[in-house]
Amino acid sequence: MFSDRQPREFLEPAVLARLAGVPLLSRRPMVGNVSGRHASPHRGSSVEFAEYRKYVPGDDLRRLDWRAFGRSDRFYVKEYEADTNLRLCLVLDTSGSMGYGSTSPAAGSSQPLTKIAYARRICGTLAYLASQQGDAVGVSCAAEEIVRTLPPRRSPAHLRLVFDVLEEARPQGTTGLPEVLHELAETVRQRALVVVVSDLFVPTEELAGAFGHLKFRRHDVAVFHLLDPQEIGFQFQRPTRFLDLEGGGAIFADPVEIADRYHAAVTAYLEAIRQLVLESGIDYHRVLTDEPYEQVLARFLVGRAAGRGLR
Amino acid sequence: MTFLQPWVLAALPLIGLPLIIHLINQRRFQTVPWAATMFLAAAKALSSGYSRLRHWLIMLLRMLAVAGVILAVGRPLSRGWLALAGGARPDTAVVILDRSPSMQARDPAAPGTKLATGRRQLADSLETLAPSRCLYVGGGDRPVEIPPAALDDLPAAGPAAAAADIPGMLQTAYDHIRENAAGTAEVWICSDGRANDWAIEEGGWAGLRDAFAKLPQQVRFQLLAFDEPVPGNLAVRVTEARLERRAGTRELLVSVAVSRSDAAGAAGGDEPETVPIRFEIDGVTTVVDLKLAGRETILANHPLPLGRGEAVRGWGRVSIPADPCEADNDFYFVFDEPAPRVTMVVADEAAVERVLRLIASIPPSKELAARGELVPASGLATAPWDEAAALLWQGPLPAGRDAELVEAFLARGGQVIFFPPEAGGGTTFAGVSWGEWLDFSEPQQPEQWRPDADLLANTVAGNALPVGELEVRRVRGLNGEVVPLASLPDGSPLLTRLPDGRGVYFCTTLPRPQDSTLAREGIVLYALVQRAIDRGLEPLAGARQVAAGPEASFLIAGEQGDSRWQRVAGASEPVSTEAGLHAGIYARKGRLVAVNRPLAEDAAGILATERIDGLFRGLSYTRITGQAGQSDSIVQEIWRAFLIAMLLALVGEGLLSLPRRRMTPRPSAVPLEAAA
Repeated sequence: MFSDRQPREFLEPAVLARLAGVPLLSRRPMVGNVSGRHASPHRGSSVEFAEYRKYVPGDDLRRLDWRAFGRSDRFYVKEYEADTNLRLCLVLDTSGSMGYGSTSPAAGSSQPLTKIAYARRICGTLAYLASQQGDAVGVSCAAEEIVRTLPPRRSPAHLRLVFDVLEEARPQGTTGLPEVLHELAETVRQRALVVVVSDLFVPTEELAGAFGHLKFRRHDVAVFHLLDPQEIGFQFQRPTRFLDLEGGGAIFADPVEIADRYHAAVTAYLEAIRQLVLESGIDYHRVLTDEPYEQVLARFLVGRAAGRGLR
Repeated sequence: MTFLQPWVLAALPLIGLPLIIHLINQRRFQTVPWAATMFLAAAKALSSGYSRLRHWLIMLLRMLAVAGVILAVGRPLSRGWLALAGGARPDTAVVILDRSPSMQARDPAAPGTKLATGRRQLADSLETLAPSRCLYVGGGDRPVEIPPAALDDLPAAGPAAAAADIPGMLQTAYDHIRENAAGTAEVWICSDGRANDWAIEEGGWAGLRDAFAKLPQQVRFQLLAFDEPVPGNLAVRVTEARLERRAGTRELLVSVAVSRSDAAGAAGGDEPETVPIRFEIDGVTTVVDLKLAGRETILANHPLPLGRGEAVRGWGRVSIPADPCEADNDFYFVFDEPAPRVTMVVADEAAVERVLRLIASIPPSKELAARGELVPASGLATAPWDEAAALLWQGPLPAGRDAELVEAFLARGGQVIFFPPEAGGGTTFAGVSWGEWLDFSEPQQPEQWRPDADLLANTVAGNALPVGELEVRRVRGLNGEVVPLASLPDGSPLLTRLPDGRGVYFCTTLPRPQDSTLAREGIVLYALVQRAIDRGLEPLAGARQVAAGPEASFLIAGEQGDSRWQRVAGASEPVSTEAGLHAGIYARKGRLVAVNRPLAEDAAGILATERIDGLFRGLSYTRITGQAGQSDSIVQEIWRAFLIAMLLALVGEGLLSLPRRRMTPRPSAVPLEAAA
């Protein structure tokens, strides 16, 4: 499929093969232009019965339920669910904070696994899986604004472009994720599965507004909240000068001295995120980057498959 | 603060060591790229105030701990909380003790007199300080080297009846320090600050202060001041002991003055305080109750019968009950038949000779015998020098053999009044010679004279002599150093004396009508001549009262061998070589001398703190207030306190450095999939 290019670092064939058995499903009906694996708000010709409807002149007589006519002496038309494809919009946070990583990567690499590398793997795998089941895949790189974007397409060539975008994404600049999500909510007209992969280092109230906006536009929103274990544990011993990856200057601190208050701040933040998730109903996954991404995606896919039909 | 090992203080800059280590640690920080700065900023904002304070407290406590170690090793000494002075261990310590009677006052609530407390505290302090040399100045010409601990038991440092000569002892200390070129010296003065002991009105203080200031070595002064007043103290004194014969019996009329240290009783309570006065003569004791009124109460001419025996010379003692100061509760007195008042008159002018002999022949009391002996200038060798009390000399000043006779007469205690010769007078006596006659166009009246002391002093009743009513037409000038006792308006002296303390007076005019009204207004001339005779009689009298001090020492210690003075009564302390400094009765060949504390000891007040402090202005000086009976040492090693302070600082540092109890659980405990 990608014989003209080197293998992508963020794609692992073994993982792709194992995850391919679980479909990527939407939790909301999608409006697609071709038949697919996702529920559609419209009635279609699938084998899954949807409802009875009174016959009106002009209806296809082949769809009359003669048995119902025999029992009730009335004409009813039998309707079935329509299956369609979905638009997968991947939103990759490429702000400077995504360049942080402290966990050891796979054997053979000396560089720590950064959050953006982890995010690439999630996005790449999801793009591949969606493409494989005939869904359209697009990607938007978000820093202070949308750095680069590809609208959802179904073609294999487009998938390669998506991979290129993921590969070339570099962490830099400040985070403007809420603004980016607002912009996407306005620009993506049709219903889509919007997958946000970010560390969400923005005020939670701004995030709530952005997620609400996406929900209002009937998008299915899923969030992979990437956190480095060190960002949670804050296990430093010596006085340290912390350089802000988003260009906010340096902060000198004795970690032993401020660890308690740091943890308190993190706990408060996570609690606020939890409240946001409960209120907005988004599909939220908190991910520590020391967890294999395959597990994360498997949990994500299985959860969606198990929740199929929830509308 | 004083340190026994001050060189250790050179390590004091090490106090900054914790700060330097802290700064080095600050420089050894690691730099980490960080994403979650929003939490970091929040944590820093919450912690900055207390954290900074805690850091500074830890730093301060560490520095205090280092300082505590250094100061403790330096062996600091405490000199009382109110008197912390700088300085190190002295090479020489000079102790000056005020042993005057007032230093024997005690606090009723505590044992020990001021002097005993001061001696013990000084001994303890000097033992702690351990100077290379410890010298004691007890009033002698030279300091005595003693071990510090011996000060507490030194007989020469015991109580005395004489006033302390603080400036004189300081001069002795100065001479020693200057001559021996001692290193750092510390002069310890223990005194109760009585005005008569310090004599600040006399002119030597400024010179003494300047002399100390100019010494090349450092001299520090430590004054251990026991200047608390002694309330309720009474002092008894015999002002006169006079023999009288009545109906064939003899009576001793004794006048006693009782003074009190404060005016509490004088302010007037409902019931005047009564003090039993105890008279003791020849083992016979008589007690008389005296009601006190005011600051001083006088029992005048209290008669004590002596019987019909022939012996008239004797001694006695007056005492009052014990009170805060025992040294002024006793007073010794002697009595005797008065000696004949023999006066030698040498005069060139017949008119002058008549006047002088007449004045010398009239006794002040009819019971006394007085005689004026005219001595021709050529017959001086055969004159009654041994029995004369005074010499009135009008003519050229004596020279040669005559001068030697007069000098011997003066050395025996005789008094001489010189009157100017009409002509001539080029000779010099004791550095003084007559000048030229000065005639005044108008009679001059003296404007200034000394009414407080010497021949022109006010009477016992307090009345002034009519010196100002004299009229003087001629005076003869004087060349040489003299002390004026009376002066005319133009500054010319009328009566002067030699400054050496001997009884040599110069009257610059003559008792003739053309010269002055000394003869016509004879009271002044009579009074000064009779007073001179009184003074001259004192060494001749069989019984004599002297104030304890150098004069008494000179008198009693002056004769050695078989004719030494023997102490026949006195306080319990042993007779020492300083007999003249201890109150008591001394006898030699039938003659008696009563030695008592000086009059000033009863009258002098305590000098204000600032007045004494002013005497040491410009010098290194520390004042330590002592209290009679105080058991604390004034100098103590306090390194333990610094060690305890260091330990406390370390404990505090440890407590502050402990990691605080974790209040917030690690966020990893929060479920990761809140919405899953």
